[in-house]
Amino acid sequence: MTKGTGVRLERLTKRFGRVVAVRELSLEVAPGELVAFLGPSGCGKTTTLLMIAGIYRPTAGHVYFGDRRVDPLHPRDRDVGMVFQSYALYPHLNLFENIAFPLRLKRVPADQVRRRVRETAELLGIGGILERRPAQVSGGQQQRAALARALVKEPQVLLLDEPLSNLDAQIRLSARAEIRRLQRELGVTAILVTHDQAEALAMADRVAVFSMGELQQYAPPDELYHRPKNTFVAGFVGSPPMNLIEGEFTGDGFRAGGLRLALPKAPTGRGWLGVRPEHLGLGPEGLPARVLVVEPLGREAIVIVELSGHRLQVLVPEDEKPAPDAEVRIAFPTGALHYFDAKGRRIGPE
Amino acid sequence: MRRYLTPLLFLSPASALILLFFFTPVVATLLLSFTDLSTTTFRHPSWVGLANYQDLLTDPFLKKILANTAKYVGLTLAFNVGMGLLLALLTSLVPENWGDPFRALWLLPRILPPVVYVFIWQGLLAEAPMGLVSDLLGVSKNWLVEAPWTAVILANGFVGASFGMLIFTSAIRAIPRELFYAAAVDGATTGQTIRRVVIPMLAWPILFVTAYQTLSLLTSFEYILLLTDGGPGFYGTEVWSLHAYHLALSNYFGNVEFGLGAAMAAVLVVIGVIVSLFYLKIFNFRALVTEPKIEV
Amino acid sequence: MALLPRNWPLWLLLLVLITLPIGAGILWLVLTALYNQVHGLIPVGRLAPQHWRFLFEGSVGGRPSIWVALKNSLFFAGTVAVLEVLIASMAAYAISRMKFPLRTPYLGMILTLHAFPAVSLLIAIYYILRVLGLFDTLVGVILVKASLDLPLGIWLMKGFFDQLSWDMEMAALVDGASRWTVFWRVALPLVRPGILALGTFALLSAWGEFILPFTFIVSAKSWTLALYMQSFMKEAFVDYGLMAAVGLFYALPVFLLFLFGQRYLLNIYSGGVKG
Repeated sequence: MTKGTGVRLERLTKRFGRVVAVRELSLEVAPGELVAFLGPSGCGKTTTLLMIAGIYRPTAGHVYFGDRRVDPLHPRDRDVGMVFQSYALYPHLNLFENIAFPLRLKRVPADQVRRRVRETAELLGIGGILERRPAQVSGGQQQRAALARALVKEPQVLLLDEPLSNLDAQIRLSARAEIRRLQRELGVTAILVTHDQAEALAMADRVAVFSMGELQQYAPPDELYHRPKNTFVAGFVGSPPMNLIEGEFTGDGFRAGGLRLALPKAPTGRGWLGVRPEHLGLGPEGLPARVLVVEPLGREAIVIVELSGHRLQVLVPEDEKPAPDAEVRIAFPTGALHYFDAKGRRIGPE
Repeated sequence: MRRYLTPLLFLSPASALILLFFFTPVVATLLLSFTDLSTTTFRHPSWVGLANYQDLLTDPFLKKILANTAKYVGLTLAFNVGMGLLLALLTSLVPENWGDPFRALWLLPRILPPVVYVFIWQGLLAEAPMGLVSDLLGVSKNWLVEAPWTAVILANGFVGASFGMLIFTSAIRAIPRELFYAAAVDGATTGQTIRRVVIPMLAWPILFVTAYQTLSLLTSFEYILLLTDGGPGFYGTEVWSLHAYHLALSNYFGNVEFGLGAAMAAVLVVIGVIVSLFYLKIFNFRALVTEPKIEV
Repeated sequence: MALLPRNWPLWLLLLVLITLPIGAGILWLVLTALYNQVHGLIPVGRLAPQHWRFLFEGSVGGRPSIWVALKNSLFFAGTVAVLEVLIASMAAYAISRMKFPLRTPYLGMILTLHAFPAVSLLIAIYYILRVLGLFDTLVGVILVKASLDLPLGIWLMKGFFDQLSWDMEMAALVDGASRWTVFWRVALPLVRPGILALGTFALLSAWGEFILPFTFIVSAKSWTLALYMQSFMKEAFVDYGLMAAVGLFYALPVFLLFLFGQRYLLNIYSGGVKG
């Protein structure tokens, strides 16, 4: 069982011409931890990963593996394994040779290569198809082979770039658990890049949320969910996303158009009130609203209502969903509200 | 700086050869054209300034050679483009399993060794009983001497036509099928479809082939050299590039006039540089460049 | 194209008619090489093995043996093809996949040289070979030939390298490869179609090459088949039968490729190889 090394990014910046892809990024990944880089496409998460791998050179800042500064090093001297979204298997080599490739480059003796490739392949359940070429196996098997290739050299750091997004929805769930299990078992430090917030929340010890090249929040999943640091995180994490209403805090309440809520200990000034769809209640109590659309999801349903000129999403159990155009009442849970200032920064409640 | 060591390593063999056999010769051609280098002065050439160019302008045969060059380039080009177009259309009008073998057959003149190819022409044009042309016409003559220009143009044209044929064929294949269906629905005949749909789509490829082959014909002389060597008679089919070659590199008259030949070649080199730079512009070259995604 | 007129056999007939000269030429070569005499395209008399005496006699008319010329031609074409593929691939890989200063101008230069008519440089190259002491050597002609076709080769190979997946190359680097290793073990095996195309083109082009050896080779011991055959053309009395046999012998590889690799040839020459 190997123990991974910690990863530390220090004011990491990457510019492509005039475009800033990553700005002054600092964060630390503990040894053996699985961290997800989460954000929409173009937010800088893959660029950061490629800088950690050594494919891109930082414009400024440093990358450390443990105490070792690696940003001047060639990828081969960094001891990382990486899985790509496209898997990037070598089409001219069979799975065995694909997995063996990193060992061959290290000039590991042939019998050891054979043993280690077999072991890793067995671990991932592809021991029986090693003679086949990538084009001859399924997407799920390709993904496993790519993972095996990344793991076979027992890297200090495992980098995963959207490793699951090319898989069918069904396999994706089991693959999530599989990767998590392996990572724990091997104790390797792992960084997962994904745009799928559910994947990030389900797999990671901590999640780093990116937007426009900047780190928005770096926290464990439940903190991200319960205490989003700003409106971007609030809107990006959670599905369906958090309702955000722009209005004015008055110290003892919140006002937005015709909507008035009494909130003890509210801040003052313009800002945003956030509330998650699953925390809003449809019932006999609350403010009157009209149902616009009902989207059944199976077990639950998303109900879009209009409340004093604002559209809100409400998540209700399937059997409680109202009919379209129905008049309903919306109850705001005082304990599950989020306050953000005019710039979108969280200001409460503490 | 160290990070550029690898690209440098990859590029150095090609760069060295290009430097040695493209850039140096361009400069050398220009330099040599200002000297009186010849067989007699090979060890000690002297700088003569523009004297070679003056000689060129006052050469009594200049007119003849310019006329020959214009004739050769113009007529061969017309044959190449016209035949290329005809072949592309014809091979597209018949089923593919017929069209492809014919296209391949027309590649044969291009890929046959020029010496063998020219020998076949010589044989076909020879006197009876050997020559097929004499046989067919019933007049036994060496047609290479009787009609040298026809021979030169046809021999070059059969090689050159395939270039246009291939480019026009890809262009025709790139025309969306819907256009043909639409034309058919509108009741167009085959002839109308070709005139109204196909030919307009070929405007750019035709321009490209014309431009490209003008430059390469202007400087090429391999097949003329083998076929007539500039004859028959005095400069019968001698063109500019062949004349430059003769002056500089073949002892036609005992003394090789290297400087004068270089001056003639220099004219071609300058034209070549200007025209190919011009092509680079109209190719919309920037669109072909993408940034590499790896920085190590 | 989606244009198959009902009267296509007529167009096919026209196609056959304009292609007849090529067929006639090839047929003439074969018949003349095989028969004692050919009138037009009709063989007269019996088969004429004496036309092929150059294969067995040490020398014909004081020429070196054809086997020497064959060996030179094989060496010439083979070396040119290997050099061209190797050097063009290396340069194309760098241009396509690496960052370095002046990359764009370099690519522009290659494209310009691709259009530039290199034959106009022969006179100066003659002089350069003399200065380098490479005049009248196969090595010299090989270098010249490989160099002059290099822009085309680089351009062609760049197109193939451009299509390789970046992910795969990144994966190889992370797996522990240097760019050099990536080039040899990942990139080159994956552009095999390009290597085959350029290799075939270079082989054919060098096999047929006449003007370069004609200009830069003097000694008969360095003759290629092109020079061997051309030496007969200068004779006062032309022995058509013998020459046709030599020509057929010389062009045999080309004919074989034509017979067995038509589709392949078309692909190569349609794929941007210049005329």
